Amino acid sequence: MSDDVSRGAAPQGGASHDGASQDSAPQPKGAQAGKGLTRRALFKGAGAAAAAGAVFQQLDALAKDAVPQAPRSQGPGKTKITLEVNGTKRTVAAEPRETLLQVLRLPLDLTGAKPVCDRGQCGACTVWLDDTPVYACTILGVEAEGRKVTTVEGLGTPSAMHPVQDEFVEKDALQCGFCTPGMVMSAAWAVKQHGKELTEAQARAACAGNLCRCGTYPHVLSAAVAAAKKGS
Amino acid sequence: MKAFRFVRPSNGREAADLLASTKNALVHAGGVDLLDRMKERVDEPDVLVSLCDAKGLDQIRVEEDGGIWIGARVTLAQLADEATCRRFLPTLSEAAGLAASPQLRHRATVGGNLAQHTRCGYYRHASFPCLKRGGDSCPVRAEGGVQDTAGIFGNRDCASAHPSSLAPVFGSLDAEIVVRDAKGERLVPFAGFWANPAKGRASDTRLRPGEVIEGVRIPPRDTKQFVGYAEIRQKKAFDWALVSCAVRYETDGEKVTSASVWFGSLAPVPMRSVAAEEALVGTVCSDKSAAEAGARTMASATPLAGSKYKVALGKVALKRALAAARERA
Repeated sequence: MSDDVSRGAAPQGGASHDGASQDSAPQPKGAQAGKGLTRRALFKGAGAAAAAGAVFQQLDALAKDAVPQAPRSQGPGKTKITLEVNGTKRTVAAEPRETLLQVLRLPLDLTGAKPVCDRGQCGACTVWLDDTPVYACTILGVEAEGRKVTTVEGLGTPSAMHPVQDEFVEKDALQCGFCTPGMVMSAAWAVKQHGKELTEAQARAACAGNLCRCGTYPHVLSAAVAAAKKGS
Repeated sequence: MKAFRFVRPSNGREAADLLASTKNALVHAGGVDLLDRMKERVDEPDVLVSLCDAKGLDQIRVEEDGGIWIGARVTLAQLADEATCRRFLPTLSEAAGLAASPQLRHRATVGGNLAQHTRCGYYRHASFPCLKRGGDSCPVRAEGGVQDTAGIFGNRDCASAHPSSLAPVFGSLDAEIVVRDAKGERLVPFAGFWANPAKGRASDTRLRPGEVIEGVRIPPRDTKQFVGYAEIRQKKAFDWALVSCAVRYETDGEKVTSASVWFGSLAPVPMRSVAAEEALVGTVCSDKSAAEAGARTMASATPLAGSKYKVALGKVALKRALAAARERA
């Protein structure tokens, strides 16, 4: 367990700032013995990152004398966030109050996801968080730490478009284009989920959270179904 | 949004300890409702105690006694998709799958759904006076107030309508809310979880400062249950229910022996209709008994001019929920 935890939970930044007074905490018998890994080092590595809860619980059982670790705290000022955006690890400094949408657009300069309603009601900021579509405006940047974010820029490029992007052009699935990046992310998710068998009803359900004031819906749905047939 | 500190406890116990020792802190899970309120500056916490890293709270599991435990951070998408929920709690799965949009269902949590504040437009707009925000009266009830989503029961002081469509389902299943504070855990019966509107009381729940929802528990049943859910809304996709209704009943093979009927979006808090339950017991469940149960429920309604239509809608929702229960069986 210890090796996996220390590796798997190794945070991408800012996770080792708490618990500095724990150096003298007694070593529980049997814990990590012979692996050259002290509990202190483990905590240092794991910090309060995602896997720490399980580690705490297991070690608590081993060591009644364990000094409780303070849960990790970030902000209110800028804090370091490392996340995987479109396949690349990126580290930014942002305040906890900054939404994922703000983090993507300002420090990361990925302006595909659009700020429109900023209230999770329109879908223009749709991105994938760990391969699942979400509204980037209803998530805090700090929550995306260590997670995988895919924006419309990561789906395809003008010279190598994703089949859904291709079909949006082919089927004339946009007018003003403001909802398009979000709509593409939802349509591409539908294709990913259902593959070649994607039906129009499934595409419709997947795009239900994306509003288009120009009313391009029928073309969007036919683009999604056509892209699915082509395969991606 | 005002700046805040973001704290990430690793379990419910740590979250409760943090809430006990931190001033002006709010619990954060999916953030769907909370961030909206913070952006509008209806809420301005100094600290968010986030459950985003809390272990175990994102699970649905069958307990030893056959009850089902649903963690506070379980998403609506999980309720809609996970086999345990689909199989054992089909009405909950159905209600969750109908709610909001895919993007929101992937974020919105069970705890947040129960603790969300009213979606009343006046409550969420700081420039209007609002009883819940400490004002003297409810602008919905005032001359010219927008009343089409208003409640038709318990609306004398505040005409908000509780927005949760999961709530009536939880009510119909006799759910218990698992609440934790620094001293420990307690189980709150569903009906006792809700607080009627009062001046300055923003929350619709009886959660006290320092308490966090850890999960919801659905008790086991050893007899056949008929369960149904129906909601009516303006749009087929991505819309709030104008009225939702969840039912559960048992029969002796023919006649209803016990029934549980709950409505959402008709009152400031989720509403049980004892009148409907009494009307159903002893009858063979049918559209006719459903109509009688609906009529008895609505006999005590106090609709506003703009929300009169909800009287008819509520009756239809009940009829459809009971029909769904019969069909599922």
